Amino acid sequence: MAAMQYNFKKITHVPTAKDFIDVVLSRTQRQTPTVVHRGYAITRIRAFYMRKVKFTQTSWNEKLTRILEDFPRVDDIHPFYSDLLNVLYDKDHYKLALGQLNTAKNIIDKIAKDYVKLLKYGDSLYRCKQLKRAALGRMCTIMKKHAASLAYLEQVRQHMSRLPSIDPNTRTILVCGYPNVGKSSFMNKVTRADVEVQPYAFTTKSIYVGHTDYKYLRWQVLDTPGILDRPLEERNTIEMQSITAMAHLRAVVLYIVDASEQCGFTIKQQADLFHSIKPLFSNKPLVIAINKVDQRRLEDLKPEDAALVEGMRAATRGPAALQLGDDEELPCMSTLSEEGVMDVKRVCCDKLLAARVEQKLASRRAGEVLNRLHVAMPKPRDSRSRPAVIPHSVAINRAKKASGELPPMITEKMLQEENGGAGVYSADLRKNYLLDDDDWKYDIVPEIYNGKNVSDFIDPEIEEKLAELEREEEELEAAWEREKAEEEMEAESDMDEDDKELLKRLRSKKATMIAEHRRKKSAGNNAANMPRTADPERRATTTRMKQSLGEMGIDASLAVKRARERSASRVGRKRERSTAAMDDAEDMDAEDGEGEKKRAHSSKSRSVSVARRTARADKSPGSGLRNDDERMRAQKLADKAQRKANKRAKIGEADRQIITKMPKHLFSGKRGIGKTDRR
Amino acid sequence: MAVRHQYENSNDIGVFANLTNAYCLTAVGGSENFYSVFQNELSNDIPVVKTSIAGTRLVGRMTVGNKNGVLLPNSTTDQEALHIRNSLPDEVLVQRVDERLSALGNCIACNDYVALIHPDLDEETEEIVSDVLGVEVFRQTIAGNILVGSYCAFSNQGGIVHPHTKIEDLDELSALLQVPLVAGTVNRGSDVISAGLFANDWTAFCGLDTTSTELQVVENIFKLKSAQSSALVTNLRASLVDVLV
Repeated sequence: MAAMQYNFKKITHVPTAKDFIDVVLSRTQRQTPTVVHRGYAITRIRAFYMRKVKFTQTSWNEKLTRILEDFPRVDDIHPFYSDLLNVLYDKDHYKLALGQLNTAKNIIDKIAKDYVKLLKYGDSLYRCKQLKRAALGRMCTIMKKHAASLAYLEQVRQHMSRLPSIDPNTRTILVCGYPNVGKSSFMNKVTRADVEVQPYAFTTKSIYVGHTDYKYLRWQVLDTPGILDRPLEERNTIEMQSITAMAHLRAVVLYIVDASEQCGFTIKQQADLFHSIKPLFSNKPLVIAINKVDQRRLEDLKPEDAALVEGMRAATRGPAALQLGDDEELPCMSTLSEEGVMDVKRVCCDKLLAARVEQKLASRRAGEVLNRLHVAMPKPRDSRSRPAVIPHSVAINRAKKASGELPPMITEKMLQEENGGAGVYSADLRKNYLLDDDDWKYDIVPEIYNGKNVSDFIDPEIEEKLAELEREEEELEAAWEREKAEEEMEAESDMDEDDKELLKRLRSKKATMIAEHRRKKSAGNNAANMPRTADPERRATTTRMKQSLGEMGIDASLAVKRARERSASRVGRKRERSTAAMDDAEDMDAEDGEGEKKRAHSSKSRSVSVARRTARADKSPGSGLRNDDERMRAQKLADKAQRKANKRAKIGEADRQIITKMPKHLFSGKRGIGKTDRR
Repeated sequence: MAVRHQYENSNDIGVFANLTNAYCLTAVGGSENFYSVFQNELSNDIPVVKTSIAGTRLVGRMTVGNKNGVLLPNSTTDQEALHIRNSLPDEVLVQRVDERLSALGNCIACNDYVALIHPDLDEETEEIVSDVLGVEVFRQTIAGNILVGSYCAFSNQGGIVHPHTKIEDLDELSALLQVPLVAGTVNRGSDVISAGLFANDWTAFCGLDTTSTELQVVENIFKLKSAQSSALVTNLRASLVDVLV
């Protein structure tokens, strides 16, 4: 709301009812099809007229909505403007007019809806046309009925577009008083508004706005029409505008009193008016200014008049108005001789600014801004003085420069321009060196000398420091040695000879193992990681077991015997009388190739040698299959399952590979008619 | 008087130069334009030295100093240190600092009497700062920023700090530094004060984007104008409050 600009110049023109109808109907005529024929299909004819009805309705709707949106809603705008609209145009009338247009809009929408519905039942071109005529006719009649509202709104629009654009929230000086006391003259003096000034009452018939500058700020000055001292109900429109402004604007009120009484009102009357409108000024800064002092000075007033003026001033200090340390003299001015006019302006602006600042400082946003306006002055924390350090030459050189004595300096930039410009000119970095002897400036100082960085030896005491460091280090080292020796002594004390021997052996064995491991690792760097069973060195044999257990001092004969019993080559030699052993024996017969009972099942062709046949189906114990029959059945099932995968060229069910979906050789090249199959 | 200036189209001139009451260090540029402005303004009174630091042009951010000395980061080459040593008068100490936070200009802010330093700086560095530069040292932050060197600029006469510094902090800093302080901006609203501004007791340089309002503030707080114009701020206060709040 604060940022909202009150500018009513943008409201669109409101046409008269007749023009409005012409505009809408001709628009319909221009923008919808015009040719229709009796011979057309009835649906087409209906659509033709429905379109006309609907189009007209949309045009009305658009235009009326535009009007309704453009006019400000009295309840939504700043109270000053809503009251001003009420005073000038009568709020009820204004609302009624807009309300009527809104109703008209709704009725037109409804008519269109009804007639479109009727048109659906139109059975000939003639009937449809009559329905359309009736629809458009009814719409126009409705608008004709609201001709008065439209005319009124157009007048309001014209008047509103001429209202001054007053910003109700900015810094404002509101000038008020009896007619002819010099309000407009004051306005003309402080702004460039150039308001008409005439020597008769009610020259100013509406609020005028002008702008002036004070303290780097823009101030809005409002010149209000004069008001007379009478009850509110009897006031005319012109006076009511002033009252509205006084009631609603957060401004400083400048009440001008004509001391010369040339305006036709005595000082008593002016004081009475002041006291009767005083309630409007509550919570606003207020300034009373005496005008026309060129005609009669303040000192020349009659005592009773002076008392009245003093009474008014007392009111400005009373609880009714903000009291802002106002004990200055009564501002007097003469708009004719321009005496004191600027004083009045200054007093008004200062009072309003003080009030606004006080209000704003209380707000939440103030904290963010105030730190930027704060200059922190140091509180002395000790008695040291910390003066500025400015070389004497600065002042001297400045004085010389001002008087033109200082010879122009040849800067590096000038040298650069003379010697080929940027990129070509190479500046001499050494010419400003401050050395004891200027001849040293261009001496070459080697960075490295005899393999040593020269900078490291710049320190004159480096030898002593180095010696000191070395001594320190030696001391540290000696201390460390001592400590170590002591520790060793303590550690070895609680071991006897055997333990020591054992420890030695353990350590040497560990070292051998590590060395052996490392040797193998480095020798067989690229060799495959062989399983233990394939590695002759690590293979579990009874010999090795015997040896290693023997080394540990354990008799290995029992363990070897047991291992031999369980060895793989003895599998099958089960308990002598078991049936399984019989089966095995039979198997062995079959392997010999005699008395073939059953062919071992396999998906392979018969050309597979008999000798390999049994190898296909694994008969290892622990496979979970009881006998050959079962084994073969399982094999058969497995082969069957495999068949599907084989057809799809898959390895097994886990093979998810998708090879090229569109092999190039099958899809490239021209394809004549009937050749697709071949590919 | 404050001068607006830029370095090869960059407004952050504080990155490329370092100014004290006894000398001015500037970066080596593609042309002599940057250097010549300082030469013209300063070289009658103090030496203006063109140098690189650790092979970079970030002279203003890598070094810190006052009239008593200059501290160089440990990445400064021997040649550069020698060049600076030869170019400065003997009263000015040149010292290389073995500090992990090597952008000394960002971590340390000082005038001839007081220094503010980054809270994480080594004890050793703190000692060097106080010995070589001859200053009282305070570990501080500015508006919550630990890079004290970046967010403030002050001379012996006055200073500007980060715009979000609170009034209480301003007063505290001012009591430490014993100079008047304001919260402000340079370079059309930049809060990195010392990148856009550096000053000594009689002159100041700002980035080319600095507005005339900002320049006015700089000239007032650093007391670069002969006329006493701090009254202006008090006069304007009401107007500013009315417009800004």
